[in-house]
Amino acid sequence: MGSRILIVEDDARIRLSLQLVLEDEGHTVELAESAEAGIEALALRPVDVVLVDLMLPGMDGFELCRRLRSSSDVPILILTARSDSHDVVAGLEAGADDYMVKPAVPKELSARIRALLRRATRSESGPTRPVFGDIEVFPDAGTVRVGGAEVSLTKTEFKLLCELAQNPGRLLSRELLLDKVWGYGYFGDGRLVDVHIRRLRTKVEKDPTHPRHIVTVRGLGYKLEP
Amino acid sequence: MKLSWAGPATGWQRTISLRTRLTLAFAVGALLLSASLASLTYELARSYLLRQRETSALRQTYVNARLVKITLGSADTDIPRLLASVELPARSTPILRRGQTWFAASSTVGRDSLPIALRETVDAGGAARQLVRLGGVPQFVVGIPLPAVDGAYFEVFQLVELDRTLRILLNSSIAAALITTLAGATMGRWASRRVLSPVSAVSAAAAAVASGRFDVRLEESGDPELSRMAISFNQMTEALLTRIRRDARFASDVSHELRSPLTTLAAALAVVSSRREEMPERARTGIDLLGAEIGRFERLVENLLEISRLDAGVEELVVEDISFVQFVVEAARTGPDPDLAVEIGPGAGDAVVSADKRRLERVLANLADNARRHGGGVARLVVERDGDWAGFAVEDSGPGVPPDERDKVFDRFFRGRAAGMRGAGEGSGLGLALVREHVTLHGGRVWVEEREGGGARFVVRLPVVT
Repeated sequence: MGSRILIVEDDARIRLSLQLVLEDEGHTVELAESAEAGIEALALRPVDVVLVDLMLPGMDGFELCRRLRSSSDVPILILTARSDSHDVVAGLEAGADDYMVKPAVPKELSARIRALLRRATRSESGPTRPVFGDIEVFPDAGTVRVGGAEVSLTKTEFKLLCELAQNPGRLLSRELLLDKVWGYGYFGDGRLVDVHIRRLRTKVEKDPTHPRHIVTVRGLGYKLEP
Repeated sequence: MKLSWAGPATGWQRTISLRTRLTLAFAVGALLLSASLASLTYELARSYLLRQRETSALRQTYVNARLVKITLGSADTDIPRLLASVELPARSTPILRRGQTWFAASSTVGRDSLPIALRETVDAGGAARQLVRLGGVPQFVVGIPLPAVDGAYFEVFQLVELDRTLRILLNSSIAAALITTLAGATMGRWASRRVLSPVSAVSAAAAAVASGRFDVRLEESGDPELSRMAISFNQMTEALLTRIRRDARFASDVSHELRSPLTTLAAALAVVSSRREEMPERARTGIDLLGAEIGRFERLVENLLEISRLDAGVEELVVEDISFVQFVVEAARTGPDPDLAVEIGPGAGDAVVSADKRRLERVLANLADNARRHGGGVARLVVERDGDWAGFAVEDSGPGVPPDERDKVFDRFFRGRAAGMRGAGEGSGLGLALVREHVTLHGGRVWVEEREGGGARFVVRLPVVT
């Protein structure tokens, strides 16, 4: 089943070639050559996934992610030519759900997009409504309330919280969370989990620097304390 | 260009360490000083004591001689009684010659105890004294002619007490000299350590820089001389770092610039390849060639980028404690040949290593890739435990690596003699170099040996945590 994908990339040849690949997969592709054009295109018509190149003229990819995040929970996949820890982590912190390093192998790109789309479809959990302190998770509605007020989480953050909420008090390793949430195996990048946990904490914890519910088990992973 | 330390080093300077030399210099200095002090003291004390003893002996002898002369001149005298009555300190013997007859108050000391030269001087009519050593004991002999009574009077003083005193003085002087020398050596040792401690600091820092830790700096405060050296050292490290970073950044920039066209190439290839079946035979061959070369190009760029980051030292290790067996099994499962069986050697089951697993996975992947290219595929993958080391061995049944090339295969862009035969053209030439870099960064070792029954056996060893 095809989805709508927006590619924000300044290199015309990469833009065109990725468009061809993704159209072959059955997706509908929209193109933008700059961050500003991307924002305009999104305002015109919403999409299911945004593919963002980090190095853009004018407004860069990081800023674009932040702008998109302020108003939408659309899944964002960043494309970067630099695999340095700095760019990847900064991109994730700006709000991206996942990243790919150029040259993006088409097969891998398709797999990542499929994983993002899967996450975006509503959670499979039953009607249980886990409550942790003042955090309430509504799996069916896909919403979270903290102290009665609804907070907006991205699909990835929500999925991550659901995984933790389904196993309260149990230690979940980075590998397991990578596998369940992102679909990566043993060799996935643990920083994906770390950055998303950080983002999640700023949204649901009263004091994100001293989390009470989403706690780190050093060297092993994370767990949700009721 | 080689700058030497304060002039050319001579042979012995080269074989004896600076620290030892300093210690020796202090010891020799202390020895010379204390020995000359001791001998001077000894000599002064000896001559003073001796002179004192001589003076009193002379005075005594003159007094006694006069007494003897008076006694002899007055009447017929019992000479032995006379001699016995002469007042003398202990261990001194009077000897008297009267005409040709000798009298002595002791049976052990007599005429023969007197030196001939002294006797002759006295016979010639002059008073004489002489220091002689007789039977290991210094003796002071004084002779006074008594022409009025056709005789001569002698006294022999055995200087036993003086000798003992001098001996004690000599011994204690030697002991003091030895102790001073030892103290000098100890001080030299201490001083050399003090003086050389900046040198040790510099050499430790230089070693750290040599091993790739460019963040090492020397303290610039304190002694002006040392601070100047520290500043130069730090400037050198800084310059080195800047230069390495610049080189590495260039390589990294080049690789990044290549990544964009590669993205287009890979995507375009995927689009064309998905229609491979619709193409005529010759076009298919062309597409396959294109695909293979793009793949190789991709690997080359990735490896170049990786190695330039390692060179720049900017790559940080993300280490965690991992179960080694689980790691190898996962790495084999996600690799290009998921059916590859992993053998687990004795004792290897519960090894835990501290490692960056994504990098370690590259090590295994590169070795497997190497086996596929040059050895007809991985014949055997074994997890092994060897004391405090855990590791794996990747074996193939290819032609193996000749002994003289076993070190060089880990060099960058190394092409072996058999390379052409083994189809090495496909590799990036950096795979094994990266293996060595990564393994070394983990504190481990990698080498290649001959596999039993033919083929190559690449062995990786990492230190275990438990």
